[in-house]
Amino acid sequence: MILTIVLATLLVGMTAALIRAIKGPTVYDRILASNALGTKTILVIVVLGFLMGDPSLYIDIALMYVLIGFIGTVAVLKVSEFGDLGQSRSRTEGDQP
Amino acid sequence: MNDNPVLRIVAKIIIPMILLFALYVQFHGDYGPGGGFQAGVIFAAGFILYGLVFGTEALRSAVPPHILRIFIALGLVLYAGVGVTTLLMEADFLAYNALSQDPVAGQHLGIFLVELGVGITVGAVMITVFLGFAGRNDP
Repeated sequence: MILTIVLATLLVGMTAALIRAIKGPTVYDRILASNALGTKTILVIVVLGFLMGDPSLYIDIALMYVLIGFIGTVAVLKVSEFGDLGQSRSRTEGDQP
Repeated sequence: MNDNPVLRIVAKIIIPMILLFALYVQFHGDYGPGGGFQAGVIFAAGFILYGLVFGTEALRSAVPPHILRIFIALGLVLYAGVGVTTLLMEADFLAYNALSQDPVAGQHLGIFLVELGVGITVGAVMITVFLGFAGRNDP
């Protein structure tokens, strides 16, 4: 019962984050919203695992989502800042974003 | 992005955990979610994070492309080698039962080696694809 309430609350939060990700005026709003969406997805996976009665499998998947989601955020931020995935320097004065 | 301390330290902490988790997915794939393909992708994701934070030049010096090409072929050779070995043991191609006296142990060994080959090839291909896209402006 309590797990169902938690799941419904998480889905409401995910909907709010999704609306912000679609509407968001700046790219940072969208990145922050998609990051929050990813965090809530992890929680939904774990709660679903306990609802289905076999949490160990789902926790493996959730761990993988944590590790891979961080890489996705870093990649999107790097492209939005530099327009290129490859280089290692930081932005200096003359650069175009 | 090398001079961003938060990103650099977090990447240095998280990369070993990603590689360790990839090995867990690879070798625990018989009993939980996972297998060779997923493990290869997660293993490559660790290197891709390294390439994102420290640049493709650093990634290229960590895993040189000619070594990657060897690993791409090595995984395929391992996969096909298991099949040819069972052929040489007078069984069908990839009939794992022939690999050992005990059929269950033979199947265990066969699946293990085939998944290892898949993991090696997929990981090396993923890093090569990332280097091909992200490093296309490199000298």
